[in-house]
Amino acid sequence: MVPELGVGVGLRVPHYAAILAEQPPVDFFEIISENFMVGGGKPLYHLDRVLEHYRVVQHGVSLGIAGPEEPDRAYLSQLKQLVRRTKTPWVSDHFCWCGAGGAHLHDLLPIPYTQAAVRRTAERARMIQDFLEVPFALENTSSYLTYRSSTLSEWEFIAEVAERADIGLLFDVNNVYVSAFNHGFDAQEFVRSVPHRRILQIHLAGHTNLGKYIIDTHRGSVSEDVLELYRQTIALAGPISTLIEWDDEIPELAVLLAEAERARAARDEGLARRGGGSQPSTGKATPAAPQRQDATVWQQGGPRESAANEAVG
Amino acid sequence: MSDVLSELQRGMARALRHGGLLEREPQLRAFALEHIAGNDRVSPVEQLEIYREQFWWRHTSSLVEDFPGLGGILGQAEWEKLVEQYLKEVPPNSYTLRDLGAGLPELIARASWLSHQALCLDMARLELAYIEVFDAPDAPPLAPERLAQIPEDTFEGARLVIAPAVRLLAVRYPVADLRRKLRAADDEPVAIPEPAPQHLVVYRRELRLWDMPVSGVAFTFLSALAAGKPLGAAAELSATSPEAEQELGASIGEWLREWTVKGLVSDVQTQ
Repeated sequence: MVPELGVGVGLRVPHYAAILAEQPPVDFFEIISENFMVGGGKPLYHLDRVLEHYRVVQHGVSLGIAGPEEPDRAYLSQLKQLVRRTKTPWVSDHFCWCGAGGAHLHDLLPIPYTQAAVRRTAERARMIQDFLEVPFALENTSSYLTYRSSTLSEWEFIAEVAERADIGLLFDVNNVYVSAFNHGFDAQEFVRSVPHRRILQIHLAGHTNLGKYIIDTHRGSVSEDVLELYRQTIALAGPISTLIEWDDEIPELAVLLAEAERARAARDEGLARRGGGSQPSTGKATPAAPQRQDATVWQQGGPRESAANEAVG
Repeated sequence: MSDVLSELQRGMARALRHGGLLEREPQLRAFALEHIAGNDRVSPVEQLEIYREQFWWRHTSSLVEDFPGLGGILGQAEWEKLVEQYLKEVPPNSYTLRDLGAGLPELIARASWLSHQALCLDMARLELAYIEVFDAPDAPPLAPERLAQIPEDTFEGARLVIAPAVRLLAVRYPVADLRRKLRAADDEPVAIPEPAPQHLVVYRRELRLWDMPVSGVAFTFLSALAAGKPLGAAAELSATSPEAEQELGASIGEWLREWTVKGLVSDVQTQ
């Protein structure tokens, strides 16, 4: 059993000063593991200060579990060191691949949904969970392409990997919405079909609709459509640790925490439905009207804390 | 692993690292049509192109952030040309973007087309040193009294352990000052400096980054210590002339005191 932590937010560099000075009430923070897999200096100093006051969970972006090469042992060892430091109740990364032939592309590239990919991903996921000695979860990604070779739906693929490897799911409701729009599937079928008992954590985030497709920019508030999918998820799966991701045009901490409270209210509404209230509708979610046209980028985790931002003496 | 899935991924990785539009490259266009499904709004080539654009945007942005001094010297056109050449020739091979620019000095050393090649090389090496020092392992500084407590008869054989967050750079231009001017100038033009060789110690102290010019003799002495030489051998290596020997004799005590106070030394090992 993993603990249910409530509603948290991503720990991001622009908020460090306010968090450490004001210590606002936050159920938990999520960190991008790779930003803290370093020897020392400011990143670990700030992490340790946060750990003195808050629960922290780890989320990775560079594992590339389904890539052509086996997972990097040195990377996994560094990850495990960080796990010991944070005492995270679980570790997550993505259903994706990140590179090939020795090149790391630093992106969450979609997997062809085939049985060969199920086998590869499941074998490695089981090995990684055993190695890390904490529950391991994989997250469904937003995607912008599909493969001709796919023979399974995304939710069938996810379910099969999770069951075979006996791992958890990090269910990103915004990613469901984005990919549903981009590929024309039914978001609610996805929500209904994933194995709910395996969901360890939920992600919520803003997105940017470019008209022909939606980009998972992690910018702005969570859309009302995504919140409705979230209520439906909670109604089906029960109370699950939920996190707001906001990585582009990062607002003041107070705005981010208000967004977490908005998610908490939606969560309560989802739980009320679970308690005998109305069931999720079966109508297809309708994407909002296109927003900005200038956003064509996405990133995970916001700005990396780096030497470039230092006042060098 | 050579199988259908891996071959697809390798082909896709080649497409994403391509420097121009996929639509204009027949082989990559054919790859997209063969493997990517597309839909009634976005064609297979356009779907793949979304990821290719992202590859270039993400890596270019990371280099821009990590090498502001280099970008400031080069200007937009040369910077873009350098970055494109770099990303084509040196695939990112680390899980972290922190390491992305590790091969830049080597490429710059070969890029004779650069307007200020030697200056660019110095700047890239300096900025790489900042990146490395920023999050290098922590090591508590040596307490100055421990240095004073080394018995006289073991002093020559003692080895000072230089902290992991220290880098030593010999440069031909005053690049640390130039970088500060470039960062403070926003879009105002900054004059390219004349050559003025410097020996720099880049280090981290109380979480901040510092660069400190030292004399050539002090630099040689500190480099020898960093390479693991005992104090006596390091001093011998540094005394390359009567003047150097005189400087060493007059300053070694003060250097050791200053370097210890500044956290450059993390331990002392005596036989």
